[in-house]
Parts: sequence; structure tokens; C-alpha cells
Amino acid sequence: MIARSQRERALAAAIAVVGEKGFAATTVADLTREAGISRTTFYEMFDDKEACFLAAYDDAVDRLVRAVSAAYDAAEGPWPERARAGLAAMLAALAADPEPARMALVDVGAAGPAAQRRYRAAVQRLTPLFDEGRDFAPGGRDLPANTSRMAIGGVAGLIADELLEGRAKELPKLLPDVLFATLTPYIGPQAAAEEVARISGATPEMEA
Amino acid sequence: MSPTASPNGNGIRSQRSADDLGGLIAQERLPSGRADLPEPLIPKSQRERILMAMADSCATKGYGATTIGDIVEPAGVSRATFYELFRDKEDCFHAAMELSLADAMGRIVAVYSPDKPWAATVRDVAAAFLDLLASRPAFARMALVEAPASGDRGYELYASGKRVLQALLDRGRDDPMEEQGIPTSAGRAALAAAESLIVGQILAGNAERLRELLPDVVYITTVPYLGQDEALRQSREAEKALRAEG
Repeated sequence: MIARSQRERALAAAIAVVGEKGFAATTVADLTREAGISRTTFYEMFDDKEACFLAAYDDAVDRLVRAVSAAYDAAEGPWPERARAGLAAMLAALAADPEPARMALVDVGAAGPAAQRRYRAAVQRLTPLFDEGRDFAPGGRDLPANTSRMAIGGVAGLIADELLEGRAKELPKLLPDVLFATLTPYIGPQAAAEEVARISGATPEMEA
Repeated sequence: MSPTASPNGNGIRSQRSADDLGGLIAQERLPSGRADLPEPLIPKSQRERILMAMADSCATKGYGATTIGDIVEPAGVSRATFYELFRDKEDCFHAAMELSLADAMGRIVAVYSPDKPWAATVRDVAAAFLDLLASRPAFARMALVEAPASGDRGYELYASGKRVLQALLDRGRDDPMEEQGIPTSAGRAALAAAESLIVGQILAGNAERLRELLPDVVYITTVPYLGQDEALRQSREAEKALRAEG
């Protein structure tokens, strides 16, 4: 294994320890022990545990957003198909490495106002993927002003529910549901259901 | 953050068996609604002063960083008084959450009628809820931002309030104008979407302008069940009503 920098070890420690104990119960001593660094070194790099946590969090979010954007940009076809590619990449990335996501959803709330604003900003970086729905939808210009922000919130909410129920590994199965939640605000439920069925070849779980 | 089902999965229960709002609230073992809380909230007791100070501190520095000193000082009570009334910080937080939920349920009960059409119920509940949050920004933030992340009991209180809203919303499925291929998760996504917009506004420090979000909230919560045209119509009506109010 490649020797990692002290900073990388501290960031990995923040993810591991906060994931295990929660943000409130995590101490700087926990972080230095897990990372195998001295307290002095820790404070040379970060002001406090929150700064370390936020750096770890930013790092994880950055990788996730880049993976989603890359898949979305690389996909061909009309908006629903490219949105599906972006969402599939997001679910796959979160299923493979759920700890940063759980941290983002659960611990960022506990880590105080600065962390919370950061989470909002990060999620909104996915806006372009959603905003194109406005151009795609026949009546896109008449939609409420905050349609994209809400659509993103709906997708994030469905993912959060799965993570909180401990079903991170099964996130890829959520694709029809998150695609429906993405498309519906722009093109309505009927057209969204048709697109989901057409593109995925799979249908979301139906009401009996 | 938008959990709707508790870890033991009893989120389903409320939408199936309860047939009125009082039943839903009772099922969640929520404090029965209080419609008697004044606006602005004027604390009548040391206890209420402490609960308000807790909410204020959550808003400024977050629940995790809040100390007993942050609460007793602005509340103008001694530490001894605090510990006579509450076991610890967590106990106080849960009491503040219970007060918020009682307040919220009171507002919802006040506008709810079983005879009202579903779309009108959604609109009126959304308006009442936005008004309540706007009038108590610190409590709004505590209930929607801090509580979900605060651990078992705080999360459970948040989730139980949300299940009541979810159950009201899911009734749209009983009489859908469009019914083919709507996934069971549609109502959950709709509520999470509205919540996310509201929380974003609160975090941006614009809680007092939450009412302006009514057309957006009405649209996103009705579109899965009413279809786009009708949801847009409902949303525009809400906007017109807002403008008429000035």
C-alpha cells in the first residue's frame, strides 16, 4: 500500500470515526489515534475537528459530483436518458462507498450550521443535470421557480431513506424511483412513468 | 435529510388504518395539537423560556455545540432551575421538539376537515405549516435541521411529525387523476422535495419569507397524483391567493 500523506490519513480517520461514533462524540484525540498522527500535526493542518470533518466531507462530495457529472456529460440522447446515466452513476458510487454519503446525510446535520450550508451547496452542484429538464419539457418555462431545487431534494430524500434503513448496497435498485422523481416535476407523472418504463426496461415498484 | 419510515418500519401503519387526522396524530403518540400558543411566542414560564433559548442556541451554533450555559443565560434562569426541570441537555431538546410538534399539529388540525377535497387540504396544510415555520424561525430550524440528526429520540420525534404529513399527502393516491405507473415512492419523494426547499430557505436565513414558497410546495406535492396540468393550476391559484393577500 502506498504511504498516504498525513492529511489523507486524517481525512480518512474523520470519515471512519465520525461514521462510528457520530460527530458530537468524536474527539480530536480519536482522530489523531486513528490517523496515527500527533496532536501538533493535526492542529497544523486543521483548526478543530469540524474543519477536519468538513475537509473530509468536501473531498468525498467532490469525487461524487465529478463522477455523476462525467456520466451525465458522456451519455448520449435526450435529457431523460442522460439524467438516467447520471443518476445510475450516483447510485453506483454511493453503493460502493456509502460511508461519506451517510456522513453527508446524517452527520452534516449534527456538525453545525457551517456543515449544513455546505451540504446544501454540494447537492445543488447537481443542478445542471436537473435544469435541462426545463428545456426538455414542453411547458418548461411555466414551471415553478424552484422546480430544480425541489427535484434534487426529492432524489436526495429517497437516497437518504435507503441509507438510513441500512440498504446502501441496494441503492442501484432505486434507479427507476429516482428517475421518476427526477422526471415528474418537469414532464408530469404519466410521461415520467412512460419514460422510466421505456428507458429502464424496468418499472418502479407499483402500488398494489 | 428526509427519512420517512422509522427503522422499525411503522411508517406504513399510519396511512392505512387511520381515517381521520386526530387518529393519525394519536397513532404517532404525538402530543395533541395546541392551538393556544401565542404569536410571537411569549414565554409564560421558566420552562418555556428555557425551551425557546434551546431553540435559539440550536439556530445559532447547532445542537451539538450547545451548552447548558448557552441556555440558562438567555433564559434568565439558574442552572439549579434548569436541572429541576430537565434531566440534561438532551431531555430539554426533546421537550422543545415536543412543543414544536404540538404547535405544528395544532395548526394542521385547525385547517383540516375530512370533507375538504384533497388538493385543498394539501394547500391549506402547506400554508399553515409555512406560516408556522416563518413565525418561529429558531424552532423551525431546530425541528427540521437539528432534530433529524440528533439521535434516536430526536429523530423519532421528527419522523413521527413527518409521517402525519406523509399520510395526509399519500391520500392523494386514493383518488388519482392519473394512475398508471406511479411508484409507491412518489409521495415520499414529493414530501422530501418540499422539505428540502423549505430547509434551504431556513438555512439561508430567509425563514420569514417561507410563505412565498407556497406555489412551489403546492406544485411539487400534488403533481404525482393530480398530473402536471392540474398541479400547475393549483399552484397558480395558490400564487394568486398570495398576491391578493399582499
